[in-house]
Amino acid sequence: MNGSGYGNHGGGHGGHGGGHPNGQNGMRNLAIFLAFLSIPTIAVIVGERSAAGRMAEIGSAAADVAIASAAEEGYCTPQLKTIVRRVASSCGLVSGGRGCKPADARSVATMSGDDFNALFKPLADRAHIIQYDSAQTELDASGQTEVEKVWSEKGGASFFFVVARASPDGGADYNTQLSQDRAQSVMNHLQTKFPQDEDLSKVGLLWLGEDYAQLDSGFCEWQRSRTDQPDAPCTAKDINRSAFVAWIDCAI
Amino acid sequence: MGTPLSFSDERTDRMYEGPGSRRSAGSGDFPGRIALIIAVVAALAGLGFAATSTSDFITHLDRDVHSVHCSLNPMAQAEVGDSGCKTVMMSVWSSVLRTSLWGGIPIALLAVATFAFLAMKALQLVLQRSLSKDDALFVVVAWALPSLMSLVFAVIAINEIGAVCSVCVGIYLSSAIGLIAAIVAWVQTPAGLNPLPWSRFATWFGEGVLFVGIMVGFYVLFAPQAPKSFEGCGTLTNRDDPAKILIPMTTSGTQALVVLDPLCPSCRAFDRRLRSSDLDKRLAIDLLLFPLDSTCNWMVKQSMHPGACAVSEAMLCAADKSADDALDVLDYAFEHQERLLVDAKESDASVRAELEKKFPAVKGCMGSTKIKNKLNKSLRWAVPNGLSVLTPQLFIGDTRVCDEDTDLGLEYTVTKFLDKAPSEPRRRRR
Repeated sequence: MNGSGYGNHGGGHGGHGGGHPNGQNGMRNLAIFLAFLSIPTIAVIVGERSAAGRMAEIGSAAADVAIASAAEEGYCTPQLKTIVRRVASSCGLVSGGRGCKPADARSVATMSGDDFNALFKPLADRAHIIQYDSAQTELDASGQTEVEKVWSEKGGASFFFVVARASPDGGADYNTQLSQDRAQSVMNHLQTKFPQDEDLSKVGLLWLGEDYAQLDSGFCEWQRSRTDQPDAPCTAKDINRSAFVAWIDCAI
Repeated sequence: MGTPLSFSDERTDRMYEGPGSRRSAGSGDFPGRIALIIAVVAALAGLGFAATSTSDFITHLDRDVHSVHCSLNPMAQAEVGDSGCKTVMMSVWSSVLRTSLWGGIPIALLAVATFAFLAMKALQLVLQRSLSKDDALFVVVAWALPSLMSLVFAVIAINEIGAVCSVCVGIYLSSAIGLIAAIVAWVQTPAGLNPLPWSRFATWFGEGVLFVGIMVGFYVLFAPQAPKSFEGCGTLTNRDDPAKILIPMTTSGTQALVVLDPLCPSCRAFDRRLRSSDLDKRLAIDLLLFPLDSTCNWMVKQSMHPGACAVSEAMLCAADKSADDALDVLDYAFEHQERLLVDAKESDASVRAELEKKFPAVKGCMGSTKIKNKLNKSLRWAVPNGLSVLTPQLFIGDTRVCDEDTDLGLEYTVTKFLDKAPSEPRRRRR
């Protein structure tokens, strides 16, 4: 250690006269060494133990993170859900066929036509009314555009409803067939436009003809395919020559 | 003192008193001592900054989100949210051995050990009766280490990370001041004639190594362990993709899925970590777009990242041509993320117009029924899989990497997952 000029050499020298100050200095240096080494080390250990403790607490607490789910909007009343559920099971969505005729619709709804329509009024921002000319079942250009637009506004909805009607003009059976064809024309267009879309299985068709849940002229204020034709009349008869289409944001 | 690392630095220079002696006691070494005192202060300042940074790092070992100190003012409060210091801390450059230990060993801890040693050694020299030029030379050489490392990390921060950390700047400044003070001390101390005391230098070097070794050793020994990291936090129940909404993102390797919002800052940081760690080269990543923007996502009531639906539409449009085109849109969105978010708050249409201008191929596709439908299916993909409404998320195979393991612990956790997951070769896309 002579080369280093410290350590035992220094201590030895201090032992012969100057040793006491050297010994003190050695102790001082040792104290400094230990202080600078131990204080940060202890701080690291304390910090890590503290982190481990917090991690254990966090681990035992329930995570408060939303899970992806289908939409469930406020208008999804129990009655509406019942209808959606019955359409899903009775009108073909579940069994493979598709569509409910007026008689089925009554059993599905088990309520008056006005009450049935009232259930859908909260969907004013979501639903669109596709209008047809008298005695017509083909979608016109604006009707096609409107259907595609509604389809693309799916959001988190679970079902797509098509509720077709006819005005009271003509016989009841004729009007039933007319409304069925109108509902089917919407379906056909969706199948043509989106042939591989698995969401087509979520479409429920309901055709009401003229004898159940007729719309009043107040529905002319809703989003409809002929809104851009201000000169086109919108009477109660006109609004019932239609298919009401909407995604239903109810998880059932 | 008979310890291996002898602590009596009051050397026996008096044995060599006389002409040509190495002894430089008395008023001759006074300017050198003053400079050495400055070096002590610089070391203590560096120790303070490094300790602050280490403390912030250690705080994050609980796998939670915390504020981070980011100021040259030692009294400043920690900052919530993004800052240069947080960006640097979360980067792969903040620690070493990241695949062997959750978070790795922080560089700041090595700085703590170094500055503690420098402060200790300089203080010992200041307090001893005599100061030799050799002592001062050792201090200069010792200070060269943090100074060199400061230079290296400053370049990395600017060139690689793209963010500057104020606390790190404190370390850089302390290193520079300490080095200058050490050089002044060396210059100002009278020279001796004896050969350099290599043995003493070796002993002191050993002390420095001991400082680093003990602190790192205890850090590793007491690092919190979380078994959950290996188990994951959920699984995919249905990985089928009939609507072709998943965008192949990277590489051959183990199958993985990233759930991402193109305007989510955390997603951008995650993407950078993934790339800079080279983990993307070991994973065949599919990308699921999950914009947290209420314009298209019914699961969020308020848009967290307005404009994200528009960017997602652009990506899906571009993906119809090629996955690389979609990733170009993503890179652009990441690069201009802050501005796009601000612009989208004002007008979603302006973001759409900008994307159509930058990527003409998506014009006519964005906003179309077809692409809205596709984006909707991307969001709906999350429902049967029960994904959390948050981004980013990483799945390796079908197992979800816990959110808390996607930042500091990313390399460690993913490496552990990869060790037990089978690898499936696939063409590299990026």
